[in-house]
Amino acid sequence: MKRRDIIRRAGRSLRQAKTRTLLTSFAIAVGAFTLTVSLAAGEGSRQYANKLIGSNINPQALFIVKDKNFFGGGQSQSGLRDYDPNATTNRAGVAIKQLTQDDVTKLQKRSDLTDVQPLYQLTIKYLVVAGSDKKFTADVSRYDDTVRNESSSGSLPPLGQQIGDDELVMPQSFADTLVSENVIKNSADIIGKKITLTVTKPSQQPTDAQIKQALTSKNPTAAIAQLTNGVSKDVSFVVSALTKQSSTNLSFTSAVQIAPSQAQQLFDYTTLGTSNYQKYAAVTALASGSNKPEDVKAALAQAGYPSQTAHDLQNLLFTIVNILQGIVAGFGVLALFASVFGIINTQYISVLERTQQIGLMKALGMPNKDVAKLFRYEAAWIGFLGGVIGSGVAWGVGTALNPVITDKLSLGTGNSLLIFQPLPVIILIVVLMLIAVVAGYLPARKAAKLDPIEALRTE
Amino acid sequence: MIEVRSVSKTYGKKSNVFVALDDVSFEIPDGASIAILGKSGSGKSTLMHAMSGLDRPEKGQIVVDGEDILKLKRKAVDHFRATEMSFIFQSFFVQANETCYDNVSLPLEIARVPKRERKEKVLRALKAVELDDKIKSKARNLSGGQKQRLAIARAIVNQPKILFADEPTGNLDSTTGETIENLLFAYNKKFGTTLIIVTHDDDLAEKCDIQIRIKDGKIESTTKSKPSQKATKDGAHKVPLGHHRRIQ
Ligand SMILES: Nc1ncnc2c1ncn2[C@@H]1O[C@H](COP(=O)(O)OP(=O)(O)OP(=O)(O)O)[C@@H](O)[C@H]1O
Ligand SMILES: [Mg+2]
Repeated sequence: MKRRDIIRRAGRSLRQAKTRTLLTSFAIAVGAFTLTVSLAAGEGSRQYANKLIGSNINPQALFIVKDKNFFGGGQSQSGLRDYDPNATTNRAGVAIKQLTQDDVTKLQKRSDLTDVQPLYQLTIKYLVVAGSDKKFTADVSRYDDTVRNESSSGSLPPLGQQIGDDELVMPQSFADTLVSENVIKNSADIIGKKITLTVTKPSQQPTDAQIKQALTSKNPTAAIAQLTNGVSKDVSFVVSALTKQSSTNLSFTSAVQIAPSQAQQLFDYTTLGTSNYQKYAAVTALASGSNKPEDVKAALAQAGYPSQTAHDLQNLLFTIVNILQGIVAGFGVLALFASVFGIINTQYISVLERTQQIGLMKALGMPNKDVAKLFRYEAAWIGFLGGVIGSGVAWGVGTALNPVITDKLSLGTGNSLLIFQPLPVIILIVVLMLIAVVAGYLPARKAAKLDPIEALRTE
Repeated sequence: MIEVRSVSKTYGKKSNVFVALDDVSFEIPDGASIAILGKSGSGKSTLMHAMSGLDRPEKGQIVVDGEDILKLKRKAVDHFRATEMSFIFQSFFVQANETCYDNVSLPLEIARVPKRERKEKVLRALKAVELDDKIKSKARNLSGGQKQRLAIARAIVNQPKILFADEPTGNLDSTTGETIENLLFAYNKKFGTTLIIVTHDDDLAEKCDIQIRIKDGKIESTTKSKPSQKATKDGAHKVPLGHHRRIQ
């Protein structure tokens, strides 16, 4: 029998057992639905992540470190190990090598990098808003101009441009705290207000002469306290903007942000004489001119500086998306697995029911392999039907629900979580048909092996 | 020419052997009509299955046009059945859920006849059995006689050289049975198709050129009707010598 005729007859047999065919294919449809949704969600998330990174990060940006463990979270080192004066141990017990001023200078001299800036992370003693004596504490970092920020009040410079030396930017949530602490009335009131940061110089081992001088002073107790307490310094800034966190705003800094030169001064001041002086966890830079960030990354790695590009960040996001997608797809695969038994069962029943028909076809000279093919094509039809139903419903429902999802997750207009593409869905349906054919293998073989005389004997 | 040479067929294992065909030999000339007669369980169907290559007896040869079909490969036998033979079964075996057209088209599809040639052949076959007004009807809606006519259309559509019919009229009333018989014999005459009919019915057997009687798997007797007797349907002329046992 010709392939076309077999396919046609297979389709007709299924139509004659409509309910059974539909019920069997529904099991596959559940799997197809889940897999289609997972495909669409994966595609949607990837496109969304791409959009986020594209609009938020300067594609030339590089994040450079000294220790590649920085990216992996560091290896937890608990044994006895070599002392490294350039490493800091964070609270988790992870030693991470830091960049020294030498490293920074070396990087600054490279022609394939511009705008090399260490990451200053400093702790202040406290900060005070002008007109109030309430003291707050917060992390201070430098304003990152390679990342797009959004303001809720005040104004921010465009991407790639720094804030003024006397300006300060802080998150909207900080202003909200100030409102709840009755320092200001409305969060927007903070714009233009003066904020004073107080930083402390670390206490140093006093010299013999200093101790002697303190002991001989008029008030020795106060003098000694002064000596061991360290010295503080006040620096004032004017609040220029509040940053807001939005879903299209990728890397949100939860710290008081100031211009890099200011941050550097304060950082040096607070670390002078300590082991952290002029040591930086990381440096940000831009690949200069037409240098591709990937190439610069490779060159930096050669020079002993691991780095990450905007593209790496994208891959990181993609890894997360892929894992989530994999979990959803896993359920789909489980559903498919269950449906395989449904197909086997249905096809076995079908073979039993049609024993006489099989006998007739064989008596009329139909080769065994064509009989097997007939049943395999029937299974393929079931797979096709299930795939089309599942994917079709997923496509329809997903498209209808997309605006609601976008709204609920505040993805921003024009963004959809579920993006359906024809090609993956077509491939999915073809794969489902193959799975169905594999499931139909045993029943098809049973049909092929049926003795035609026995088959014709059954009434 | 079909030659059946010392064909034996047994069923069952050692302790429970049953000899269904025991050293059966006979010849059928091309274009002849043969009746295989015998009591129920005598081995008629078994013989028919062996002759068509559906079943493989342990011993003997079935030589069709000089070739022993029992020695052919399975595929070759399938092809042989698809192109040279056809069957009419006692219980019709028409596909109730399919249209008359699709029922008749089945042997052509199996024989890989191209689609455009099929239509004409199917229509001709259905016309021959006067079912051309039922082309699109589902077979389940046909009467018993119509079903058997459909089975005949299916059997003749591929213009076989050999047509096997296992009790073609067994399930039908006498007038309908007669219509079917006439159809078969007309076809046998018109196209020179070898007609092999398994039957209980002596009247039907009389209309055939040769009658082969089987009893317990053995050939009991082989008789030939004289052409003049076969030509007429008048029962009075039909009393053959050696057939007195059946005539009351
Ligand atoms: N698969 C089998 N196993 C055992 N015995 C079988 C088998 N098939 C047929 N037989 C036996 O072989 C004998 C011949 O069977 P066959 O079907 O040829 O009879 P028949 O002459 O066609 O009878 P009927 O007129 O009732 O159709 C019977 O006794 C039957 O029981
Ligand atoms: Mg029989």
